[in-house]
Formats: sequence, structure tokens, C-alpha cells
Amino acid sequence: MQNRPPEIAHSENEFETLASGTLAPNSQLLSKTKKVYMDHNATTPIASFLVDFCQKWLTHWGNPSSIHWAGREPKALMRESRKKIAKFLGVQPLELVFTSGGSEANNLALLGFYQGLLSLEKEGREHPLSGRRRFVTTKVEHPSVMKSMQHLEQLGVDVQYVTVNRDGVLDLKQFRELVNEETALVSVMMANNETGAVFPLKEMTEYAHSVGALVHTDAVQGLGKMDFNLKELDVDMASLSAHKFYSLRGAGALYVKKEVPLSPLIHGGAQERSRRAGTENVMAIAAFAEMTRFKGQIKSRSLKMAGLREHLMKRMASEIDGLVFNGLGHECLPNTLSVSIEGVDGESLLISLDLKGFAVSTGAACSSGSPEPSPTLLAMGLSREEAQSSLRISLGWETSQEQVDAFVDTLVSVVARLRSLAEDRDVG
Amino acid sequence: MADESNTSKGRVLVAMSGGVDSSAAAGLLIDQGYEVIGMTMQVWDYSSCDIEEGHGTCCSSTDVDDARAVADKLGFPFYVANCEAKFQAYVIDPFVDAYMQGQTPSPCVNCNTYLKFDHLIRKMKELDCDYLATGHYAQVVQKDNGESVIVTSTDDWKDQTYFLFTMDPEVVPKILFPVGQMKKEDVRQYAEDRGLINARKKDSTGICFVGQQGHGSFIEDRIAPDLLQEGHIRLYPSGEVMGRHKGIHRFTRGQRKGLGMDYHRTLFVIKVDAATNTVWVGDEEHLFSDKMEIAKTNWLGSVEDGEELRVKIRFHHQGAKARIRHKRESDGALSGAVIEFDEPQRAITPGQAAVVYRGNELVGGGWICP
Repeated sequence: MQNRPPEIAHSENEFETLASGTLAPNSQLLSKTKKVYMDHNATTPIASFLVDFCQKWLTHWGNPSSIHWAGREPKALMRESRKKIAKFLGVQPLELVFTSGGSEANNLALLGFYQGLLSLEKEGREHPLSGRRRFVTTKVEHPSVMKSMQHLEQLGVDVQYVTVNRDGVLDLKQFRELVNEETALVSVMMANNETGAVFPLKEMTEYAHSVGALVHTDAVQGLGKMDFNLKELDVDMASLSAHKFYSLRGAGALYVKKEVPLSPLIHGGAQERSRRAGTENVMAIAAFAEMTRFKGQIKSRSLKMAGLREHLMKRMASEIDGLVFNGLGHECLPNTLSVSIEGVDGESLLISLDLKGFAVSTGAACSSGSPEPSPTLLAMGLSREEAQSSLRISLGWETSQEQVDAFVDTLVSVVARLRSLAEDRDVG
Repeated sequence: MADESNTSKGRVLVAMSGGVDSSAAAGLLIDQGYEVIGMTMQVWDYSSCDIEEGHGTCCSSTDVDDARAVADKLGFPFYVANCEAKFQAYVIDPFVDAYMQGQTPSPCVNCNTYLKFDHLIRKMKELDCDYLATGHYAQVVQKDNGESVIVTSTDDWKDQTYFLFTMDPEVVPKILFPVGQMKKEDVRQYAEDRGLINARKKDSTGICFVGQQGHGSFIEDRIAPDLLQEGHIRLYPSGEVMGRHKGIHRFTRGQRKGLGMDYHRTLFVIKVDAATNTVWVGDEEHLFSDKMEIAKTNWLGSVEDGEELRVKIRFHHQGAKARIRHKRESDGALSGAVIEFDEPQRAITPGQAAVVYRGNELVGGGWICP
């Protein structure tokens, strides 16, 4: 019996992602195109070394909760993974609750915290937050935060939303007015998924703490793009998602500081110290942990992405008229560029680019897959039309200048064609 | 790839509802050597109504799934276009307004006019396509003079040219109707042979956005209650009050059922008068008329003044011989027409389309005036 996790040969310089396969094998149109992926804020390709890693672990399929031999290795893997991820984030291993991903982590942070607070009150236990019924968040959060907040409003929580201006800058004056002695929790994302705007989390956390409120951050977009330390940021909860970090879909984590009240949303097992029932997605969690070995490279890779983003922006600005880059009022993620392209329908632009092999995005997609204008851009005060003519380009660790150049070349020609059609229409 | 050597006959945007006709259309085009892009218009939020998905409706979310599955099976790219706002403005709102004015609308024509053959024509150009194809039972044929015209489908019973009379003649050469030369049963057989999941799916019937509740409740849900006024039901022509109704939107000319009254003779709705909020009922003989006026005419080809042509006054009408008398603006531009039938026609209904044919060629039409 092997009792140690399988060893995977690797070198830190060996990071490489899986090339994407052909989606529709018979497609004449799609098979001819070279594929360029520039939608890393949606998800990232899987690091190729994880294929070997996961393949080996597929044979160690036990349930980590089992007492017998089959559960031993998975349990050890869970323990090691928890340690690695905790170290990577600068927190204690037992402060992590593994979830199915970022959305569950956000739901757990907001609803679980509220239920936890209510339980303490019901039991008559003293807590500094007892009786506080206000949550403060922003108007540009991810839908999993927005919808959870709307649900909390129905449960009687006084939820207040901080606005942003046209440049995506949060109104910090308003934030200070809204966060008061009634406030139990502040939830502010680390960086915006649509515009890449990086919010002044540390400053906001300090202020919230000064009036006794706790702070949750949706850190999903920060992972792999910013080298952050949750202890230094001093937040009380943080949501993370593995698949935005070149690992498998289906794993995420909520960092919860020890003293934060939290009730489970999923009941029925003692996993995650009874904070999240259900057999753990061991392999996805372990793959996430494997990725933490690249911590030392995040800065340099971010610099490289920032350079490409700068190049992308410069070329676009000099070769296409009528562009507005969105959300540049704050510091920005090194990989994200949101741009409104005057006189161009984002839906047709996105499809045209896809047909030529370029994967980028516009706003949010509804359940059927048709694009809707981005709520973030609407909250920033863009008109529906402006929001609908917007594109989000998000680069990754492996994006090359060649790809960026190929993208701009294609974009220039597609935009020119779409605009000439629009002119014909206006004249006609 | 086996098909790489096959020189494409051009790129086609196929409007896909998720039904068998447009799915087969996509398959046929691929067989003929076209490059195909599929697109479904998301027109309506089906989560908000009681329509049983996949049962005789256009474009509900399971229908989108069906269209996507067909695209995957046949191997062409597929997209969903968001058309909800346009559908609301150009199809739903006019539909509700028409009923409130005592008319009986034909929303499928507007959907073709403003969505399929406007929005998707725009998408066709934007996506660098040469043609737009739909699953309509209709045909485009080129006449000896090179002109492309629309003619009725081979399958008479399925013919859908009635819904196409507003088409811009300039667009016609860009349109492909791949199933227009086929019988419905052959279309199903083809889809089955191609392994398409919707080969035996039920045909869409009725109006796609109106659920099992019927159009009456649909309108009541969308209108301020004070606009839904009760009124008299009067006997035509005496004016005798026969009863009361709860809103004129529930009545259409020629209607026999649902009048809610007991009378020794069978009565029909003769006229719905929005101005006085009155529903007139009477004997069937009063439903016949040999003349009508049409407005907002569209002509795909030239029609001589007084020419005798065939006119359909509703979708399931076989058509009747009639003379077309053009009306003109002071500047001479065509503006509507008077249609004189050889034989009186039953229940000529305001709000419906009157569609004009020369032989089997669609030449245009207009909207029946009150």
C-alpha cells in the first residue's frame, strides 16, 4: 500500500496550459480557425501538469471521511491541500471552508453569516454584532453577491449599496456615511470581474473595523492576478474560486476568521467542521493547492500581462476611433480591459470574433446564452446602448504578444465592417 | 477534414426556432455545400408564463436547447440573439393595442417584418453572411427576367407565404427557404434520417407567446384595469341590448362561441366597436361583405390598378378572386387599396392581413381596416 501522495515531477518554469480542443468536430467554420482565448475572467485553461497529477489521484478515490484504508490517502491529501492553500493566502488552515466554487462561497459568507448571527442571538449569547441589521455592499458586485443581498433584504436585512461613478470609482464618502454602528457586515469585491477595477479594500476594511463591522471580500478575480495576503488585508471573510486559477472547476473556498459567526447552508455532514456538509471534491481542491506553488511567479506574470494589456490598449486606441475604456478610475487588474466601441453592436462583434477564433466576452449571458448588457457598466452610468457595445478582454498567464496583435488586427477589420454597415443603414 | 475541399456556396445565417422545419433547413443547406451559422432569437422570457415548454411554441428555452443540439449534431456554430426588447415593442405591444381597438391582430407577420427579416437581415450582414435562411414553407424562384420572387410552397396545406407579405423586395434574393419544396412528412423523414432530436416534435400552433390561458387573460395581465371596460352586447341591426361583456378584447368578428347568451338562433359577432365599447352580434348573413379597405400596403411586385388577383383574408383562407384598386396620396404615392371581391367573403376581420397573389406568386398585401 502506497501511503504518500504520488510525486509529480515539476519545475516552476514549466507552467503551461492545456490547449483547447475543437468544440464541434464537423464544423467547417470553427475548425478552420486558430483559437485565441482572452476570456480568463470567465475561466482559465487548466495547467497541463495537473493532468498527470489528477490522473494519478483518480486511483485514490476514497472518501476522506472514511475510517478505513481507502479514506486515508484522500484525507491526507485534503490536509496537505488545506495547508498549502492557507499558506498561499496567509491564513490558518482551519480558517478555510471548501465549497463548490466562488458563488457558493459568496452565498455562504453572506447568508451563512447572517444565520450564524441570528443563531447566537437566539441562544442569548453575547456577540459584539448582536442587533446589527445593516449590510453594506457595492452596486457592481458579482451576481452571487447581489442576489444573496436581495435575498437578505427579503429576510429583513437593511442592505445598502455604494454607488460608482462613470470611471468605476467607488463613492468612498457615501461608503463612510452608510457604514455605521448598525452595520454588521461590509462586502466589497477585491477586483471587478467586468472592468478589472481594484477597490481600496484595505482602506475600506480599516474604516469598517473602526465602527465594529466585519468585512467580506469576493476575492475571486484577484486570484492569480494580484499577490495578496488575506491576513495583511485584515478582512474577516474572503471567497475564492479554483477555476479562475488554472485548476479544475468545482472547487472554491471561503476564508472565515475564527471568531466570525457562520451557520452552514448545506446540512448533513461534519465535513469542513460542520460548516459545509457533503463529500469534498478532493481532486479539484488538491489541484487548486498544487497551483499555489506558483505564488512566487504571480508578480512577474502579472507584470507581463500588464505589459500586454498596455500594448493592447495602445494599439486599440491608435487604430480604432470612438473607443471608451471603462473603469480606469481605480488601479486595474493587470489582465482586464473593458472597452465600449461606439456604433458597434457587442453581440455581433462577439460572434464575429468567435467565428474568427477569438474568445472574449460582453457583459453577462442569460440562461439561454444570449448576451445582456453588463449590470456593472449600467451601474457606472453607461447607457444600455453603450453597455451593449462593450467588450471585455481578459488576458492570461500564457497570452502572447502575437495573440494580442492578431486580436487587434481582427478587431480593427471587424469593427470597420460593422461600422460601415451601420452607416449604410443610417443613410438608407 | 472531409469537407475542406468542398468550395462553399456561401455563408448562410439560419434562423432556428428549435422546431423541425428550421433544423431540417440547416441540414439541407449543409448538404448543399453552404457554410451555416445558426441563430435563435430569444424573444420572450418564458420563465414568466405558463407555456408548457417544447409544446407547440416558438423559441422557448427548451426550444433553444433543441436548436443548439441540432447545431452540435450537424456541426455548425450556433448563437442566441437577444431580441426581447424588440419583440416587446414590435410584436407584443401592437398585439395588445390591436385587441384594445377591437381588432384581431396577426402577430406572426410583425415578427417576420421586424425580427426575422429585419433584425436577422442585419445580423446576416454583420456576420458576413451571403444569405438568410428560415424554415418557412415558401419558395424563392428566379423569373426569366432575373427577378427573384416568393411563391407558395409545394405543400399547399403548410404554405406560410401569408406571413411574408411585408418583405422588402430587395431582400428577397438574399432569402433561402430550404424546406419550401418539401412536404411536411418528408421534412420529418429527412430530420429523422439525419438523427435530429426534434424530427417528431409537435408542430407549433397558435401564438407562441400566449399560453394555455388564451389571449384574453394575456391581455388582461398587461393592461391597466380601468382600460378593460364592460359594455353592451347589442343585436345587429336593431340595437337591442342582448347582454353585457367584460371587455371587447375577448371578441373577434365571426366568433360564435363564448358569447355567454341564450338565444333561439345562433348568433355571431358582427362587429366590435371600440369607440362605443359595443360588441354587435347577429345572423351569419351580416358577416358577408364583398369589399374591404386595406392600409399600410407593401407590394413586392407591381400590381396594375383594377387587376384581378387572388386575395387571402386570413391564414387558413383559400383565397378569393378580387380586383385591387390602389389609393394614392396627393403626391401620387400608393397608400392602401380597396379590394373588391367577385363573391362576398365571410368575416373580413380588421387587424388581419390581406395577402395578394398572382397565381402562386406573392405580390404583396396590407392590413384590413375597420
